[in-house]
Amino acid sequence: MGARAWVVNLIMMSVLLAFPRDQRAQGGAPAVQPRANPSQMLAIVVNRSNPIDNLSFTELRKIFLGERNHWPNGHRIAVAMLDYGQPERRIVLRQIYRMDEKGYEDYVLGGMFRGDVFVAPKTLASPKILRKFVFNAPGAIGYLRGSDVDETVKVVRIDGLRPGDKGYRFQIDEPAVSKDSE
Amino acid sequence: MASALKKRRVIPAFKQLTQHSWFARGMSRHLSMILLFLLLLGEACVALFVMRDLGRSYANVEKMYNGSVQGLLRIGDMQYDAQETRRSTLYALTTSDGNLQVTYADQSRDADRGVTQGIAQYLAEARTPQEIRAGQQLAKDWSDYLKVRDEVLGLILEGSAKEAVQLDLNSGVSEFERVRHDLNGVKQSYDAQALQQLATVAELSRSSMARLTGALVFGLVLGMTAIWAIQRSRVRSAMQLAKLQMDFVASVSHELRTPLTAIMTAGENIRDGLAFNPDRLFEQGSVITDQAHELMELVDQVLQFSATREAKLAHALRELQVNEVLEDALRSTGGLVEQAGFSVEVRIEPDLPPIIADLSLLSQCLQNLIVNAIKYSSGKHWIGIFARLDAQQNAISISVQDQGIGIDTEELSRIFEPFYRSPQVVAARIHGTGLGLSIAKRTAEVFGGDLTVSTEVGVGSIFTVHLPIGKDVPAEGLGRLGDVRGARV
Repeated sequence: MGARAWVVNLIMMSVLLAFPRDQRAQGGAPAVQPRANPSQMLAIVVNRSNPIDNLSFTELRKIFLGERNHWPNGHRIAVAMLDYGQPERRIVLRQIYRMDEKGYEDYVLGGMFRGDVFVAPKTLASPKILRKFVFNAPGAIGYLRGSDVDETVKVVRIDGLRPGDKGYRFQIDEPAVSKDSE
Repeated sequence: MASALKKRRVIPAFKQLTQHSWFARGMSRHLSMILLFLLLLGEACVALFVMRDLGRSYANVEKMYNGSVQGLLRIGDMQYDAQETRRSTLYALTTSDGNLQVTYADQSRDADRGVTQGIAQYLAEARTPQEIRAGQQLAKDWSDYLKVRDEVLGLILEGSAKEAVQLDLNSGVSEFERVRHDLNGVKQSYDAQALQQLATVAELSRSSMARLTGALVFGLVLGMTAIWAIQRSRVRSAMQLAKLQMDFVASVSHELRTPLTAIMTAGENIRDGLAFNPDRLFEQGSVITDQAHELMELVDQVLQFSATREAKLAHALRELQVNEVLEDALRSTGGLVEQAGFSVEVRIEPDLPPIIADLSLLSQCLQNLIVNAIKYSSGKHWIGIFARLDAQQNAISISVQDQGIGIDTEELSRIFEPFYRSPQVVAARIHGTGLGLSIAKRTAEVFGGDLTVSTEVGVGSIFTVHLPIGKDVPAEGLGRLGDVRGARV
């Protein structure tokens, strides 16, 4: 590689460092960052009687992994998962569990076998059923696409952010499965 | 005499007309029929009203009863929904499938909404304090149960089945029992209410039917009584008429026999040569003519009565002065009065207005009264004839007063009946046909007037002809007179 090639590489790296990836996707021009659509965000929901309003991502991860079993009000935590193939489930597996389906199954089965996980997450067929589950179970926690959230459940802030806030973690890239999306 | 008659009873001619004349009897029958018809009509109306009231009250109570039945049905639905609420909750225990658990939870919540709405409706319709208390208790117990149910559902969904069962056994069962008990209480209340309303319906129906039956029976009895009375009246009228006709025949026969006997005797005397000289012959001839004259008068009276009955009297109406009529009547009866040795006192109020009548007929009417006064005297040979103006009635009153035997109170109602002769008169062998007063009264009525009597037994009688003054004579009453005139009593 000659000196000329080193110069070109340096310029390109400078450009990459100066502009974020999404700005680069828009042609590389610097612009005001748009606010994300909340309906396309993944909301973490709990029962309305649950006093928790905010969770850190670390706490959330512990809850979903079954490392934490009870809420501060004493209710047992019941994790609700959507059925296989749902985009929301894939986001949760990827971002919270940081596992694929196989890894998740192995983790749950192994955890129950070892006694690390007391109650396996409930697998529910649709967002509607999941919403009703959260509504009926005081200790339930689950996730819903923003457009599936209604007043029967409470949305929990994650690291102080609500769906749609800048920096909110869980964004859904795929459209909802037509199975039961309200 | 006038003071002596102070206490005498005055019988209004109208009363006699309505009670005892042939016309009145006929009218009475018609009146009875009309009354009977009106009675039946009234009964029918009463029956209709009773039936209408019965229908209304029945519909009203039926509506109330339907309310109870609806209430019972609603309670039945609430009982079912309450059971469904609990059943669905317990079903959720039987599975670990979260989807099914949520479905059961949904079913339980749907069912509990039905119960909650039913309780609210019951409370809204509750009227009595007892119902309100029962409703409030039910609402409280149901709310308590739902709290437990929610907790149980929550535990089931959270995967704590053991705790859910424990909670249900500890609290859910007892709370639900209370709800069931409350619902049973409300149901029994509705049952009792429905039974009471049924009893009320039955009682109302019974009493209405009793009233209706009573009204119908009363009407039937009354109707039958009226029919019986009408028939009885007809039979009695027919019997009385037959008796009167028999009496009339007997009386006329007797009246005919007396002059005929005299005529026959005189004729036999002439035939047998007993009237051997002209004086005796004149005497027997006079007997024959006198008795024949009496026969003629008797026949005239019968014909006149017949004419008055059929309203065929001929008339020559004109303005008449009262003294003119009285002079005619006195002239016609003068011989009889003189022969009987009676004195007649006549007093006519001055300046009396004229009357419109037929002189002959009105004179005949007064003659009948004068002859009766002579016939029924009791030894006092006096007759008073008074004419005066009755300003109140706008009529002229002509009274014929005697000091005779008088008329018994019981007889007063019948003396104007044709052919009627009182038993006392018959027993005293006072001859007559019983037609004089009837003819006189009918004659007065033809001229728009009336004939009344006041009397006292042993003191005497006053017969008064009331005649409207000239301008008040009814035109329709003047055309009923027929062909018979000149009758004599």
